[in-house]
Amino acid sequence: MKSILKGAAFGVLATTMMAGAASANELVITFDDLNPAPKAAFEAAVEAFRAANPDIEVTANNGDREAHKNTIRSALQNDAPDVITWYPGNRMAPFVDAGLFMDISDLWSSDPNLSANFEAIKPTMSRDGKQWGVPYSYYQWGVYYRKDIFDKLGLSEPTTWDEMLAACDVMKENGVTPFTIGTKFLWTAAGVFDYLNLRTNGYEVHNALTAGEIKYTDDRIRATFANWETMLERCSFVDNHATMSWQEALAPFANGDAAMYVMGNFAVAGMKDAGLTDEQIDFFQFPEITPGLPRAEEAPADAFFIPANATNVENAKKFLAFVASPEVQSEWNKAIGQLPPNSAAAINEDDKFIVEGMQTLSTASGLAQFYDRDAPAAMAQAGMEGFQRFMLDPSTLDEVLTELDRVQGEVY
Amino acid sequence: MASATAASAGSLRASRYETDTARAAVAGVVLIVAAWLLFFVIDPGTVQNWLGYAQRSDARVPAFFVRFVLLLAVIVSAFMLVTSTGYYKRNRIRLAPWMFVSIGLIFFAIYVILPIFQSFSYSFTRWDGLRDINGVWTGEWVGFQNYQRLLEDPNFYTSLWNNLLWLVLYMLAVPVGLGIALFLNQTVTGIRIYKSLFFFPFVISQVVVGLIFTWAYNPEFGLVGEIWGWFFCEETTNILGNPTTVCSVDPPNILGDPNVATYGIIAAGLWPQIAYCMILYLTGLNNVSPDQIEAGRLDGARGWKMLRHVILPQLAPATFLAVVVTVIGALRSFDMIATMTQGGPFGSTNVLAYYMYDQAVGEGVGRYGYGSAIAVVLFAIMLVYISYFLWRMWQDEREAR
Repeated sequence: MKSILKGAAFGVLATTMMAGAASANELVITFDDLNPAPKAAFEAAVEAFRAANPDIEVTANNGDREAHKNTIRSALQNDAPDVITWYPGNRMAPFVDAGLFMDISDLWSSDPNLSANFEAIKPTMSRDGKQWGVPYSYYQWGVYYRKDIFDKLGLSEPTTWDEMLAACDVMKENGVTPFTIGTKFLWTAAGVFDYLNLRTNGYEVHNALTAGEIKYTDDRIRATFANWETMLERCSFVDNHATMSWQEALAPFANGDAAMYVMGNFAVAGMKDAGLTDEQIDFFQFPEITPGLPRAEEAPADAFFIPANATNVENAKKFLAFVASPEVQSEWNKAIGQLPPNSAAAINEDDKFIVEGMQTLSTASGLAQFYDRDAPAAMAQAGMEGFQRFMLDPSTLDEVLTELDRVQGEVY
Repeated sequence: MASATAASAGSLRASRYETDTARAAVAGVVLIVAAWLLFFVIDPGTVQNWLGYAQRSDARVPAFFVRFVLLLAVIVSAFMLVTSTGYYKRNRIRLAPWMFVSIGLIFFAIYVILPIFQSFSYSFTRWDGLRDINGVWTGEWVGFQNYQRLLEDPNFYTSLWNNLLWLVLYMLAVPVGLGIALFLNQTVTGIRIYKSLFFFPFVISQVVVGLIFTWAYNPEFGLVGEIWGWFFCEETTNILGNPTTVCSVDPPNILGDPNVATYGIIAAGLWPQIAYCMILYLTGLNNVSPDQIEAGRLDGARGWKMLRHVILPQLAPATFLAVVVTVIGALRSFDMIATMTQGGPFGSTNVLAYYMYDQAVGEGVGRYGYGSAIAVVLFAIMLVYISYFLWRMWQDEREAR
């Protein structure tokens, strides 16, 4: 009602002020993170861009991340902003294929910073040999653990599969559940699967699987699931994980009932909010399973894209080049506790998780995006439901794998 | 003098049935201009230029207002055009009701009937829900492939089975609602308070009901976990000295167990539905004729016999309505599932409505063709009920005449 009245007022105004050309020099940005730290970092970057380009009139919109996953569809097809956030890898594929994202390969080749400092992440931003977006942040995955519990039990960070299983045995003997996880929203289980698969079979198999080139009933994937079954038996996960979100699963970790969490670095903020300090928590890389296999890591990136419908393309490119600069990448990621994709950007040396993450990722042989970003969304949804089912009842393995093969046959 | 009056009255009467050409011409011109503006000229872009807005999105509200006014102009002028014809004037009694419902019918056709046919056509395609920047549809025609795949999809059978469970178990709301209504149908001090307390769950949103039950079912800190704890759990301290609970038997995780989760959601859904049926029966009981009860008493009917042969027949309209709303409620159990489990664990609590959403829109899965095929199946099931209810109502109408 209020908006109709407002509309009526505008309508009356319309008859009096017919003229008034729109000012041409604008930039509209749509962002998708309302969590306090990311929101502040985004706003700070926009402020800096305004200061550097006083002639451009910038409008910055920010919305809920989950809602953005649906609204981006209509945004790209109807009233597109000039810059929008989305995920690289396979998640950008539908929009690239439908011609809704703009090809910005020219920016990648003409901007010296972009062409020199983003070599590692460039393949992720590419499809059909062209580049479609600019990443502003990424982060490592791995095992976050309660250092105080490890110390109490005389355990050290495991580097091999057997060491980890042995450590789990000790924890269980002492009444500690080795792993916490919350699989209500499914993707957390995909993190565990990805790591088991990367360590069992390596980066190529991960890519071939998510690209639909090998079947889920393949012996290599079966080997991954066999390791998972061992992990479920000897390193059990908390009960009731199927009804918990990843945030709710922090509770047993914070209370000391569970000692480890396979997670992305964004979880550190949640752990600290739950009252844990740097002395109590620490990070180790997911241990080696197949000896001698080159170590690949999960490192999902977040990026900016230019919709094909954008009106102020030049300003949008200016903004992307600005976001890619080492200074902005450095500031932004310091504020949100993540890593800058720009290899020339400085990192926060005081944050031990960031230092360790940087070390982990810069020495990795390959970077995976994440199961639900590398695989098409329909496959990922079915796959993650299968992972959850397997975790709840490992005896359903054959059914799960056959079902995933069926979905794979339909999706690709 | 007298004849002149009669003549003018006669011409007046005659003109009432003739087409008023001037009025029709004006209305026609207004109709054409307004429709042309509405469909070919005005869009947020023109309004943006017109008002000088920086953003296209800023022009949305004024554009809505302008379009709304134009739409009103189109409707009013169309009505004027129709009502100024001689044909309409001669058949006013018959046509006027149609004029009144026409607006509703037009919107019903655009927003309900048309999408049904669109769903039918999408169900024969493979489409991720996207159009390219030129508005060109990006899908491909695949014939009956989606339906063939549905037949092989175990999730589809799970959803179908859950739909059936909902339909059957949700019907419990009708007898339980009747029971509570009979119990509350008495004159005691404060009975209105008791009635409103029983009616309360129907007033609150389904989403809130879902959340309340999700928390109640929580095996750790919910009502279920709490009660379980009295019998099977004890407080201890963990390795770090923090308080923790150890149970000799694990508490039931109702929403996390694929075998019982659906029953848990149905139980939550029954709570407001029972209240709804109760209120329907309470109003029905108000209309039960005291004479017939009196007569029944004189004939020696009491208790069950009274209920079965005297009261229930009089409650038949309420029962019919209660069954209708319960069937509809069972088939649109979407919000409860969305708040409580999102179809999980691993799709075991899906119903067709939620599975359709999950495949087409949810998490950007984007299988619009497949989702549409599920929607068509759901529509076919609903059609059975809808036809039955329509037939029943038509029968009743005929009897009433």
